[in-house]
Amino acid sequence: MNKTSIHSILKTFFAAKMYMFVLVLMLFPLFLFSCTQKERDLKTTIHFVTWKPNIPGVQEEIIRLFELEHPDIKIVREIGPHSSTAFHDLLTQKLKNRSEDVDVFLMDVIWPPEFGAAGWAMPLDEMFPRLERAKFLEGTILANTYRGSIYGVPLFIDSGMLYYRKDLLAKYGFTPPETWQDMISQAEVIVSGEANEGKELYGFSGQFKQYEGLVCDMMEYILSNGGEILNSETEKPGLAQRPALEAVEFVRKNIIGRAAPIGVLTYQEPESLDVFIQGKAVFHRNWPYAWQVSNDPERSRIAGKAGIAKLPHFTGGRSYAALGGWQAGISSYSKNKKAAWEFVKFLTGEKAQKIFALQGGRAPTRKALYDDADVLKSYPHFSDMKEVFLTAYPRPVTPLYPAVSNILQRYFSNAISSPHIDLKAEAREASKEIEEIIAMEK
Amino acid sequence: MRLTRAARENVFVASLLFPGLFFIVAFVFYPIIYSIYLSLHRIVLGLPSLGRPFIGLDNYLRLLEDRVALHSMINTLVFVFTTTFFEILCGLLIALVINRQFKGRGIARAAILVPWAIPTVVSSQMWRFIFNDNYGMLNYIFFGYSTHSYAAWLAHPSTAFAAIVIADVWKTSSFAGLLILAGLQLIPDELYRAARIDGASPWQQFRRITLPLIKPALLIALLFRTIDAFRVFDLVFVMTQGGPADSTNVLQFYGYKKIFTEGLMGYGSTISVLVFVISLVVSLVYIKTVGTRLFQNG
Repeated sequence: MNKTSIHSILKTFFAAKMYMFVLVLMLFPLFLFSCTQKERDLKTTIHFVTWKPNIPGVQEEIIRLFELEHPDIKIVREIGPHSSTAFHDLLTQKLKNRSEDVDVFLMDVIWPPEFGAAGWAMPLDEMFPRLERAKFLEGTILANTYRGSIYGVPLFIDSGMLYYRKDLLAKYGFTPPETWQDMISQAEVIVSGEANEGKELYGFSGQFKQYEGLVCDMMEYILSNGGEILNSETEKPGLAQRPALEAVEFVRKNIIGRAAPIGVLTYQEPESLDVFIQGKAVFHRNWPYAWQVSNDPERSRIAGKAGIAKLPHFTGGRSYAALGGWQAGISSYSKNKKAAWEFVKFLTGEKAQKIFALQGGRAPTRKALYDDADVLKSYPHFSDMKEVFLTAYPRPVTPLYPAVSNILQRYFSNAISSPHIDLKAEAREASKEIEEIIAMEK
Repeated sequence: MRLTRAARENVFVASLLFPGLFFIVAFVFYPIIYSIYLSLHRIVLGLPSLGRPFIGLDNYLRLLEDRVALHSMINTLVFVFTTTFFEILCGLLIALVINRQFKGRGIARAAILVPWAIPTVVSSQMWRFIFNDNYGMLNYIFFGYSTHSYAAWLAHPSTAFAAIVIADVWKTSSFAGLLILAGLQLIPDELYRAARIDGASPWQQFRRITLPLIKPALLIALLFRTIDAFRVFDLVFVMTQGGPADSTNVLQFYGYKKIFTEGLMGYGSTISVLVFVISLVVSLVYIKTVGTRLFQNG
C-alpha cells in the first residue's frame, strides 16, 4: 500500500460523517434496550435465585399460585446448583457485585450471619414483626437473627434423621437402634443374613464427601458422644478433646468401608439416598425430604418399607440432629423490595408451606402446620419429630462460617479417608486454624 | 493545524494499535495489577466493618506457613508433570498414527479432536460418571456384573488423583497431537526415501529423522500444556471438589475457595498471584531455553 492511499483512508476515517455513523451504530443497541425496558416495566419482575428441588414441580406450582394472586408481578426463577457450597459461591458472587438480577434468594441455615454482616441480605425487622415471628419454630428464627436483626424468613426446617428398612428390621426381630454401636451390629446381622439369601446390600449410607454435608453428619456423631465442635461461650474448638476424637475414630473404623461402602466418601444427599431407595442399604441418614422420595413408588423400590427414627447416639450420650433448612431473603440491592417481600411472604406463608410439606416432603417452619390434619395424615411421624426439630442443633454461628466449615471439611475428610493419620495431631491443627479465623472477628 | 506526514502516519499507526492494546491492558494487565493490589490488603467480605487495611506482605508471609497451600502446590506440580508427560507421549502416538496414509484417515483425524472440542465441564461430568462406584463404566469394564467388587475410584486419595490425571490426559492429548502433527507434516518425504535406500530400520528413521525434526513442535506442545496444566480448575471443581482428604486440591481451586467461598479476597488473591508468578517463571524459562533453540531450528 502506498502512502497516498494511507492518507486517503486516514481522511475518511477521521471524517465527521464517519464518526456519526460509528456513534449511531454504537448507540443503536442502547436505544433498542431502553424500549424493551419500558415495555417490561408494566409488570414487576422478581428474580428468584433458587436450587433445583429434589421433587420437581413444587416450586413451579407455588409460583403459579403467587402469580395468580399478584398478576402485576412476574417471577423469574434462576436455578443454582444443588450443593449448598456451590450455591453459596454462585449467590455471593452475584451479591458481591450488587447484581440487580437477584431480588429474592434462598439461604442455607448457616448463612444469615454472613449475609447480614456483609450487608447483602436486607434486614426484615419492619416487615417481619415479632408477633409474626412467634408463629415459627424458635430455632429457625434464631438462625435468621444476627446482632438483633432478622435477615430471612424460614421456609422449611431440616434436621438429620435415621431412615431404616421396616421390613428388614422386623424380619430379624430388631427395633430401631438407640446407639450407633447397636446400629452397626444390627446392620451386620442383616447384611450377612441377606447375603446368605443372595441379596446384596450395605448396612448404612450417609453423606461423607468433602463438602458442607460432611460437617452436619460428623457433628451428629461428635455431639451424640458428648463432644462439641465449637463451644458457643468460650468460642474454643472441641475437636481435639476425647469425645470428639472417639466419635471421629468410630466413623473411620466402623462406618466408612464397613457398615457403609467406601463410596460414601464421594456421596452427597442424592447419591446416598439413591442407595437407600434402590433397596441397597438397611440404614440411611438424611433430611426430612427423603421420606417423600423413599415412599414414592415411581422413584423408590422400597416404597412403604421405610421407617424413620431419631438418630442414634453413643452409650452415655444423647441423640443430636444437625439443624438445617432454608430461608428466603431479600437482596439489599433489589430494585423491587416491596414486590420481593410480597413474594417472600407468600413463599413462607401457611398455604405455600403446606404445599412444600405435602408435595415436597419439606418439614414446615410454621408451628401451626404440625397440628394440620392433612399434613399429619401424610407424615404421621411429624408429631414425634417436632421435638427433634425443636432441639436440632445449629452449626457454629459466625459470619466467617464458610471459612470455619472449610477447615472442618478438610479435617473430617482427611480423618475418615486416611486410616493411618494421627487424629489428635490433625484435630489440634484444625482447632488452631479455626481459632485464627474466629480471632479475625474481634 | 496541519500535521506533518510522519506525524499523521504515527497517528494512524496508533489508532490501529489502540484496540488491541486496549484489550490487552483492560483484560490482562488490569486484572493482574488489581490482584497484586488486593493481595496486599486484608479484605474479608463477610466482615465489611474491618475495612480494607493495607497489610504489606502479611498475606504472603501467611502463605509461606499455610500447609494446605503447600499441599495444594505439591498436588499442582505433580499434576502438571504427570499430565504434561503423558499428554506429550499420547500426543506423539496420535500424531504418528494420523500422519500415516490409511483408509478413513479423515474420520480418524476428526474423531481424535472430539475430546479437545468438548467443554471441560462436560467431559469432567462424563468422567465422574465413568468413575462412579455404582454404575460407572470403568467398574463395568473391569468387573462386569459382579457388583460387589466395584471400586469407588473417587473415594481413595490416590485413585482420585489418578482419575483427574486420566481425565485431563484424555482431553488434551489430541491438542498436543495436533501440534506435533503439524511438525510431522513439515518433514519432506525424500528424507525417509533416502533413509530406506541407505537401509535404515523404521526405528532408526524415527530416532534420526522424525524426532529431531519434530523437536520444535514437541517443545511448543510442551510449553502450551505446562502452562495450561497449571491453571487446572474445572476438572477438580466438577469431579472431586478437592476431596477426598484434600488429595485433589490444587492451587487454583484453593484460591477459588478462599475468595468465593470464604470471602477472603486478600488472601485468595495472594494465591492467584502465586499461580501467576509460577506460570510466568515457567514461561520465561521455556522461552529463554526452548525459544532460542526454536528460532535456530525453525
